[in-house]
Amino acid sequence: MTLQSTKFSVPSEKWKYKSKRSERTRSAVIFIASIFLLIYVLAPVGWLLSSSFQSEAEIVSVPPHWLPHEPTMENFNAIFFQEFEEVTYETRRKVDPAAGGYIPSTAKDLLPSMWNSFIISVAVVILNLVVGVPAAYAMAKIRFWGRQASVYTILTTRVIPDIALVVPFFLVIKNLGLLDHVMSLIITYLAITVPFTVFILVSYFESLPDELDKAARVDGCSRLQTLIQVFLPLARPSLVAVMLFAFLTSWNEFLLALMFTQTIASQTLPIIVASFTSDFTISFSFINAAGVVAIIPPVILALFFERYIVSGLTAGAVKG
Amino acid sequence: MSGFYTGLKYTLARRFNYEARSAGLFLFPVMSVLAVVAVFPILYSLYTSFFNLKLTRPHRVPFVWFDNYVKVLSDELFWESVMRTVSFTVMSVVAILILALFIALLLNESFHGRRFISAMILIPWAIPTVANGLLWKWIYDSGYGALNGLLLQLGLIDKYVVWLGDPDKTIPLIANAFVWKEVPLAAILILVTMKSIPVDLYQAARVDGANLLQRFVHITLPSLKPGFMLVMIYETMMAIRHFDLFFLLTEGGPADASHVLSWQIYVETFRNLSFGTGSAMSYILALVTFALAYAIIKMLGRRI
Amino acid sequence: MAKYVSKLARREFLKVSAAVGALGSSGLINRAFAAGDTVNFMAWSAAVDLVKSHVAEFEKSIGIDVDYANAPWSNYRDNIITKFVGAAPLDMMWVSDAWLPEFADAGWIAPINKFDNLMKYNDEAEDFCNDSMTYKGMQYGLTYYTDFMAFLYDEDALKKAGIDAPPATWDEVTEQCLKIKSAGISEYPLMLALANESWLMNFLAAMVYSHGGRFTDEKGNAAMQSPTEGAVAALQWVVDAVHKHKIVSPACVETGELTGLKAFQSGNHAFALEPKYRMRPINDPKQSQIAGRCKQVLMPSSNGGAHNTVGWMRFHGMSSATAANQAHAERTAKLIEWFGGRANGAYKFQKYLFTDIGAGFGVKPLFNDKDVQASYNSYADVEMIKAQQALALKSDVVTPWYGEWQETNASSWQAAIVGKVSPQDAMTKAGDKWDNLKQEFS
Repeated sequence: MTLQSTKFSVPSEKWKYKSKRSERTRSAVIFIASIFLLIYVLAPVGWLLSSSFQSEAEIVSVPPHWLPHEPTMENFNAIFFQEFEEVTYETRRKVDPAAGGYIPSTAKDLLPSMWNSFIISVAVVILNLVVGVPAAYAMAKIRFWGRQASVYTILTTRVIPDIALVVPFFLVIKNLGLLDHVMSLIITYLAITVPFTVFILVSYFESLPDELDKAARVDGCSRLQTLIQVFLPLARPSLVAVMLFAFLTSWNEFLLALMFTQTIASQTLPIIVASFTSDFTISFSFINAAGVVAIIPPVILALFFERYIVSGLTAGAVKG
Repeated sequence: MSGFYTGLKYTLARRFNYEARSAGLFLFPVMSVLAVVAVFPILYSLYTSFFNLKLTRPHRVPFVWFDNYVKVLSDELFWESVMRTVSFTVMSVVAILILALFIALLLNESFHGRRFISAMILIPWAIPTVANGLLWKWIYDSGYGALNGLLLQLGLIDKYVVWLGDPDKTIPLIANAFVWKEVPLAAILILVTMKSIPVDLYQAARVDGANLLQRFVHITLPSLKPGFMLVMIYETMMAIRHFDLFFLLTEGGPADASHVLSWQIYVETFRNLSFGTGSAMSYILALVTFALAYAIIKMLGRRI
Repeated sequence: MAKYVSKLARREFLKVSAAVGALGSSGLINRAFAAGDTVNFMAWSAAVDLVKSHVAEFEKSIGIDVDYANAPWSNYRDNIITKFVGAAPLDMMWVSDAWLPEFADAGWIAPINKFDNLMKYNDEAEDFCNDSMTYKGMQYGLTYYTDFMAFLYDEDALKKAGIDAPPATWDEVTEQCLKIKSAGISEYPLMLALANESWLMNFLAAMVYSHGGRFTDEKGNAAMQSPTEGAVAALQWVVDAVHKHKIVSPACVETGELTGLKAFQSGNHAFALEPKYRMRPINDPKQSQIAGRCKQVLMPSSNGGAHNTVGWMRFHGMSSATAANQAHAERTAKLIEWFGGRANGAYKFQKYLFTDIGAGFGVKPLFNDKDVQASYNSYADVEMIKAQQALALKSDVVTPWYGEWQETNASSWQAAIVGKVSPQDAMTKAGDKWDNLKQEFS
């Protein structure tokens, strides 16, 4: 609010003079706010990044080394360049570190698991849109019997804690014959994300004037045409929000993936990251390296879609 | 042209049918997905909540009506967990709302570097929960953690402080880790809503001589209602049921300090193998969550 | 009437469970866990490569396919419980001795007594291990590894503080810690890892047993709350160490075993309670600042106690579903033998597990193995290990209600350590919980 106050709350007669000064104040406020925000968000990430280049011995230094004194690429090498070889007594990796840092034997699975996560997340995003958009439109703009009830029904599926749903979900997946298959995660993630997808979109569609809907209908558009030609273009920011939501929820989910998957055919990134902790040893620096790698795809995606959210596409178009 | 009018008349005549049919058609996919995947688990846990289902006694599973609920509700530890869940949830949701509003206001301005910042704020969200939990565990570590190291170097503390091991600090610290990860989504949801506020509302208000604070209070905040509603509902649901950080950081400790309801449900279900009471607790939590969501919708929602 | 209702209800319950089976049993995609002749083997993610190599050798020599999967230790129990409840194919799995009564009572794991090829190894196995795998007179597997809680010290830290001999009693531990602390060598000379995790009970039991105490009496009733027994004294000692003497960090309630290990390895402490097998990494120069200086001494005693500590073991078990199918059970038994018994005539897995990570074997003949002796001598004193091993007691709280009780017990200990309740009140609460549960389960 401070940001806008300097921008607009000025008597009009002194507009020019004041606006120059207030423009400077505005920039300063924005600058300071941005710095604070970046520190809040990036400080832990910076530590994540820095420690991923440290050896396990360096990471326990007191006080911490904010920048690695002896940067090592060991963790990333293990993730990106570990060659697959058949494990025999001779080639087995003894859990004791040979070179100072402990690299878990599942390190080579990180990239394949990331691919699984990516495929699953993309599929969940697409299905969310296909399934969620029409439903949200119907709930927001079509007056039909049971409309309210349907909104609440959808929300109800997300009020039970996941812990309580693990076993019954497992039974469903097992009986669908989907254990250890990426499909198992695609359909469960769809089921856990789509209620919020619908909810977010309903609230957005509702904020669009009914007149748009009526006008389109009077022009002879079918419901489907109205949705696709009128509402979808206007809803782009919220669609992007929903896509990010579905993608990242799938990207992050751990508990169900832990239960449904058991080989690298279907294991996702969080499962492989968790497998780096064992009861015999743990490498925080390696886990941090994995965390760094895990950030990359979503951030690229975010950079790609970001302008659709921030651009304020709808601002002028919606004057009913 | 006349065809158009006949068509319209025809359509209007059948309007109710067509509306109902298209609504049904539009809802069918989502409902069938939920029916196949989500409905059974929900009914299953409701069903088990009426049985004295203790897995270590597989041959004695009596139907006990509401006994599990009575047992749970008369358990002192349950109510203590409820209180901790409430404080965790309130703390987290309030912090998320404030931070998200602040971030959304910032990103709503146009300035150099906005794209960079809006991509950066998504990073916490992109770190898998497991890595996020371990990251914070390491930051908070009283012996080697970055938090102690930083505060000491800044001269804010003169010796290392016990963080998660101090029962008074445990919940706020876990809430901080939770908020950090949840804020990006909340900010985006509010920003998206902000983008849907028609600009001419502001122009009209300015013409009427409203100053910035008035415009913020009378236009921005009310228009953000749907955004606040989304964020409040989503984050309340997430916080009230949150499990991962409690599992990764403290396992309910020290001395029950982070023994929240979701942890209690986990313990009851997987440690004690009492699926009956575990499900009953889940259902109580679910009812409360639903009631909260309902209240939030009634308070902030428009027509739902 | 009530009886009728509950009987009917149970039948209903089973029916619904069966209906679940019918739900979509056509199967969209037929790609479940490997079934048929393949043996499904589930473990936690320890020694993964060793297990893989040993499995590969099994497939080659015996000609039976194995589907090996693993989950992190912290999620392992939840994972297999879900698989048991969901009736997913699972033949052989690693089991902790602490879970045996629960898993056996739940009907998830089956005795192996009818497999002579497995039972024959009992003669060569440690009695402690055989006992720990036995529940209600039946044996449930072969040993994967066994270990005990050891009292370790940093020789240099003691020398620097002018201490000639390591402590023999808990009072001497206090004295020596204060000396080391005042010499400025270590702020908190004793490392205790008392975070609420699965390791916690082993640390607590070692404290209690070494104070001459037990949690329960011969009849299995709670003894921990008795002021004359060792449990209250042990907890009092910890509380004093944290608050009065400040020789143990108040952060001990958030320190897990792995973090504690790293702290000890980095030379921040003079004494530590650690599983014995940790001596290997602690004395490895590549991982530790105090390599070569870490020595073991008998667990300190108190009240004329006998230097007792706690031992534990993990075993290779077989699921009940598998045991019901003769042919499949035999295949699975072969794999259990391959890991827990001899593989092509040698205790290969146990030996490699020991030389790789130092995890203790439960088979006596390996003590005579040259490589094993060489490995031990490189970082530890075999005689000391044998002496302490002989004083290792089996946990006296392993019952079907262990997990449930431990939740209360753990939080009681922590509450006393953070100063919220007195040690006596804490142990009374834990003892009451024990007796209530015992009654509930009988």
